[in-house]
Amino acid sequence: MVPSSEIPWGALLILLPLAAAILCFVWPKLAVVTGVVTMLLLTLAVGGFAWQLQREGLYQHAVGGWETPLGIGLYGDGLSLLMLAMTVLVGLAITLYARSYFNQKQARVFWPLWLLLLAALNALFLSADIFNLYITLEMVGLAAVALVALKGGRDALNGAMRYLLATLLGSLTYLLGVALLYHSYGTVDLVLLAERIDNSPVVWAALGLMGAGLLLKTALFPLHFWLPAAHASAPAPISALLSALLVKASFYIFLRLWLVLFAPLGGDVALLLGLLGAVAILWGSWQALRQTRLKLLVAYSTVAQIGYLFVAFPLAAAAGAMLWNGVSYLMLSHALAKAAMFLAAGNLLLFGGHDRIAELDRAVQRLPISTAAFALAGVSIMGVPPSGGFIGKWLLLEAAIEQGYWLLAAVMVVGGLLASAYIFKVVGYAFTRSTATPEPQSIPMGMEWAALLLAIASILLGFTAPWVFALLGIGDPFGGGAP
Amino acid sequence: MEKVTLLIMLFDLLLGLGLLWLAWQLLESRNLFKAVVLFVAFGLLMALAWVRLDAPDVALAEAAIGAGLTGALLMAALAKLPSRDKSEPLADEKGHWLLRLALLLVAAGLGYVVHSLPESAPGLSAEIANNLASSGVNNPVTAVLLNFRGYDTLLELMVLMLALLGVWSLGIERSTREEPVGPVLTTLVQFLTPLLILVAAYLLWAGADAPGGAFQAGAVLAAAMVLLLLAGWPLQGLLTGVALRLMLVAGPATFVALAGLTLLDAQLLAYPPQHAGKLILLLEVAATLSIAVTLAALFLGYRPRTNKEPG
Repeated sequence: MVPSSEIPWGALLILLPLAAAILCFVWPKLAVVTGVVTMLLLTLAVGGFAWQLQREGLYQHAVGGWETPLGIGLYGDGLSLLMLAMTVLVGLAITLYARSYFNQKQARVFWPLWLLLLAALNALFLSADIFNLYITLEMVGLAAVALVALKGGRDALNGAMRYLLATLLGSLTYLLGVALLYHSYGTVDLVLLAERIDNSPVVWAALGLMGAGLLLKTALFPLHFWLPAAHASAPAPISALLSALLVKASFYIFLRLWLVLFAPLGGDVALLLGLLGAVAILWGSWQALRQTRLKLLVAYSTVAQIGYLFVAFPLAAAAGAMLWNGVSYLMLSHALAKAAMFLAAGNLLLFGGHDRIAELDRAVQRLPISTAAFALAGVSIMGVPPSGGFIGKWLLLEAAIEQGYWLLAAVMVVGGLLASAYIFKVVGYAFTRSTATPEPQSIPMGMEWAALLLAIASILLGFTAPWVFALLGIGDPFGGGAP
Repeated sequence: MEKVTLLIMLFDLLLGLGLLWLAWQLLESRNLFKAVVLFVAFGLLMALAWVRLDAPDVALAEAAIGAGLTGALLMAALAKLPSRDKSEPLADEKGHWLLRLALLLVAAGLGYVVHSLPESAPGLSAEIANNLASSGVNNPVTAVLLNFRGYDTLLELMVLMLALLGVWSLGIERSTREEPVGPVLTTLVQFLTPLLILVAAYLLWAGADAPGGAFQAGAVLAAAMVLLLLAGWPLQGLLTGVALRLMLVAGPATFVALAGLTLLDAQLLAYPPQHAGKLILLLEVAATLSIAVTLAALFLGYRPRTNKEPG
């Protein structure tokens, strides 16, 4: 028996879902069992990985035994761990939900795709090689497009096609940046690149190309045009994972590149990012308020919440690691809350046969668990204490006020108010009494609880901040020492 | 000697301009069929350009996949479009001049950046040459793909599997219309198929020492299968169910199994040097099979199944 401290948890996080995906693909009859068991094993593996990181610090593994720059390096620090944990938490809920959601024909395709997507996300969060990151991005993108198309029909195909074009454009511009950096510095390893990089036109071009590609995938205003259609037309668990995990994956790469390579160059770029973030908050929240369909409302809310992540960039130079802690926390709590919202919305949609907000009558009495999930997740999205969203937004707000960025602070507050408005709009309609209701469909318990548990987790995050910040500090991902 | 250099320079210039012109023409074409034909031509010229850049491996891949199979895929997609969409020219969208201006600016900027690049790139050639002896093969490209950066290739094979799953997720049904096959095509296929299989086998074997390898061999083998499908051979009836799926995952599964085994030794995908050559050959054979069947299945467009299998 190998002592558990020597189990290669990091590599297992990638290999397990890959092997499981192949198994599901070859024997579709085993798909659901394999999916559920793999998800549980991945939870265990993330736990083991966290324990290992805590004991030994930074995780580094030379794949194939070839040291960089020749080989590929796996790399894990506190930020990687946070992303892996986020994936596994949202993944558990989506797995529970999908177990009852898909029919047999869809399940045949869903499970291998979902497991490959999990493998790709884990590989992405553990990579320190900008070309390897490209491949993981491509895997994530293709799996997501296929999942969006899964429902079939005109809307789904249209949404999937838009998403495909956006995601391919994003990956290719990113790849062009990789090629330029490799040509100039002779390596695709992030650590080595950070040592060699200097201020030259190539670096600026790479920043522009890779940045544009990743921001397109992250759906930062004005590059968010593909998001509402893709999110609204996808099956509920897919919308949940698009909003919760996928936009975060490209944001994670952007953040890494920024921290390691580009931050010293780009004061003005940081300001531009902050500005776009601010506009995203206002535009996304306003659009969310105007929607008459529940899923579109939730999708535009994602556009707004992505904005908050970018507001941090101009503040970071003066605020240091604590601000990035806040951003990471915001990512995590948004992932949980937004996944909960989409799953709850999916239940309401399935239950009533529509997702017209004005006709969500008496959902409370019929689907109390899903409605509660939506409302609780809403609390975290609004940023009301004691939720995870509150902690993240508070740290951002504090930094903005301290540094005298009054406009950004005001935008964040207004964004919070608008969020309350659109959440209450939904909750309000759900409580109204109306006469005619179509024959409701029954919702399996697992699907209701998946949403509620995620929502509760997003609230509980409000109490775990010191503990999470300590884990985030492993390997010092944000520079400047421990907070 | 000088005359030869001048001639080569002229050739390169023509090649570059030809590529630009073809790209422009195919983007501007309002006729989809013409655009696809131009795309294939573009792929072939691109392959030539790779030859001129001393990258024969990429040239082979570009010719086989970029021009050959992608062309066939585009043609197959075109054939599935309702005839109304095909004959009607694409709508002339206004306001595109702004987009073109933006693209022109980006291109100019990139041109400037490429011009500012150092003449000689500090690549990894020296590093690769130093370690080639312990990689198990003599072709540096194969060494990078299957050994130094084998992890990338493992994930790339998954990308291919994802592409097929994506197509299958669309739930396209088999079209009932069968085109009659002429005698010319039948005879051609009878001659070409054995030849293509032979070429694929050669490329696969040669990959260890010379340009070639799993991707190129797989593409050529796939071309043979596409030809057979076109000539009305019922491959989709013969290859179904678990047998088909096992062939599709042979490459990825072998790779993942090897990754798991090497992990027992605490180092992901580190082959023992004395066995590296054999292991790489094993991976390449499995990958060739999977790549070929995946590409042919992509061409088919629907999931082949027996009558008993559920939809």
